[in-house]
Amino acid sequence: MRILIVEDEKSLANEIMLFLSKEHFNCEIALTGINASELLAVNTYDFVLIDIGLPDYNGLDLIKEAKDNDSEAYFIVITARGELEDKLTGFDYGADDYLPKPFSLLELHSRIQAIARRKFGHIKPTITFGNFEIDINNRSLKHKRTTIELTKKEYDLLSYLILNRNRILDRLQLTEHIWGNFFEEDYDSNYIDVHIKNVRKKLSKFDNYNWIKTVRGIGYKFVE
Amino acid sequence: MIFPNMKLKNQLALINTLSKILIILIAVFILPLLVRKISINETDNQLTDKLDQIYEILEDDGVEVFIDIESDILGYGSYNILKEEYVSIEVSTDTLLYEYIETTQRIIDDEILNYRVISATFEYDSVIYLVEIGHSISSIINFEKELREFAFYLLILLLTLTIILDLSIVQILLRPFEQIIQKLKTNHHPSSFDYTKVKSSTSDFKYLEDSIHQLMKKIEIAFNEEREYIGNISHEILTPISIIRSKLDNFSENTTLIHENSLKIHEVKITLGRLTKLVRSLLLLSRIENNEYLVNKNLNINQHIKIVLEEINERFEVKGISVSTDLPASEYILKGNAELIHILFFNLLNNAAKYTNEDGCVIIKSYERYNQHIVEISDDGVGIAKDHLPRIFSRFKKFQKGNNSFGLGLALVKKICDIHQIDIEVKSQPNKGSTFKLIFPKL
Repeated sequence: MRILIVEDEKSLANEIMLFLSKEHFNCEIALTGINASELLAVNTYDFVLIDIGLPDYNGLDLIKEAKDNDSEAYFIVITARGELEDKLTGFDYGADDYLPKPFSLLELHSRIQAIARRKFGHIKPTITFGNFEIDINNRSLKHKRTTIELTKKEYDLLSYLILNRNRILDRLQLTEHIWGNFFEEDYDSNYIDVHIKNVRKKLSKFDNYNWIKTVRGIGYKFVE
Repeated sequence: MIFPNMKLKNQLALINTLSKILIILIAVFILPLLVRKISINETDNQLTDKLDQIYEILEDDGVEVFIDIESDILGYGSYNILKEEYVSIEVSTDTLLYEYIETTQRIIDDEILNYRVISATFEYDSVIYLVEIGHSISSIINFEKELREFAFYLLILLLTLTIILDLSIVQILLRPFEQIIQKLKTNHHPSSFDYTKVKSSTSDFKYLEDSIHQLMKKIEIAFNEEREYIGNISHEILTPISIIRSKLDNFSENTTLIHENSLKIHEVKITLGRLTKLVRSLLLLSRIENNEYLVNKNLNINQHIKIVLEEINERFEVKGISVSTDLPASEYILKGNAELIHILFFNLLNNAAKYTNEDGCVIIKSYERYNQHIVEISDDGVGIAKDHLPRIFSRFKKFQKGNNSFGLGLALVKKICDIHQIDIEVKSQPNKGSTFKLIFPKL
């Protein structure tokens, strides 16, 4: 999938590109609004990542411009400016998602995947592990034919871990994923542990394998 | 400041009334006196004329027409029938010649009558005579009395009419002023100020309005600059944090890292997270102070508490804290900002979880008292020392050693309460627990 990263901070743009390229996205960078506008006019992208605090261009105008030119790309807005106003106007202008700075690259990836799943539908909606099957679209978990009841947070944690299998997810990333990144100040707290404990308990009723490994002092990792 | 604390309208009316009463009093007392003076002057002129006429008769016919000394007729007097006037001539015992006019009483047919009398002496055939011509002034006195009454009633009537007229005119004249004040009172933020001009024929009000508009524009510009400034600071701080954060994310993707190093990266991330939280909290405070949040949504408070509680339930669970709620499906609706109300209860409940000991208990209840919706959040946790209570809502006040918070949580709580006109009361005893009581504005 082709992604355009519109970000005036070269260093940040490079980090995003580095991460997404590893996830097999085809990335291009525009460091200015004008450059982005030109690129959007000639190329087609699946995703456009826009920092709306560009010095030369209002990022929201860029979205409007692209939409006026029948661009079919999905827009994810990044901002370090207003929490509230920009969020509202961002969606008014046709942004598909919104991430306040600073964000975790995993979270960005997860948002892109979520939109891709919703809009393109070509990513397989179910993921299996052992005899378990998780349905991303219906937000449900099954063991063979039996449905396992999960709370919203339990589901969110489990699916986030599964989508990032074999990768250590630290508490910060998990906390931000389920609570958003606004309220939290005790990132190293053990609230996540409660949910993980509950998920493990629910899974262990069906098999004895420990799917979710604890990474001491950091977080958790889903392993097959 | 002649009349303190009165509306201009009423002050004007009062001054008007007082000045008019003064004029009336003067008129009622002075006018009859003036009329009397004029009438008496007129009478005096007539009397002088009449005296001249008498002298003419005397010159033509001699005093014998009236008095005959030889026949012992020493005096003459003549009254007209209604005793309006009289003339008398008699031999005077005086030896001086004089002429004067005075007001005096005369008894005629057992009746005391007020007369204006001209008295004069003249010499005729070596005899001094005294001539008196009198004119009754009872009519003048009566007239004066009637005039006074009439003037009094007429002026009272005029007074009433003019006061009514004055009041309504002042009311109309002051209407633009009241409209200007009303606009100022109903405005909550300079950016939403209505700059349409109030219709007025008074240049002073136009001047006032222009000055207010200029001031408003200045405030609006200052507000916008402040907003811009906050936005810029936010951008300037959060962008570098974002760069560090993404570099760390990429770095920790490295699977060859030994656990010890991963742990260090994680600690850096946590610290960065705290820095982010600090910047965001400060920004939030500034934004609230800058009135950037609209307080206009209808919010069911008890419903919101339940949502927040659901969201942070695990914080109680992990410490084995029992939470008992008594939140009836209240009809109470607050005009507020959902995001801020969410933060308000999040911070209060999060504090309750944080400062309550393992296996402690937290009680959340709401009830109505004196028409007011009240929410109480009580815990049996560590409590707050008495000395600290007055300062718990100040920024960066931390009373617990070794915890990671910045001391902004309660400052935010207070700020959010303030803009929603919620009163917040805190009762606390060290090691016994704290109770936060929120008193919501009346419907």
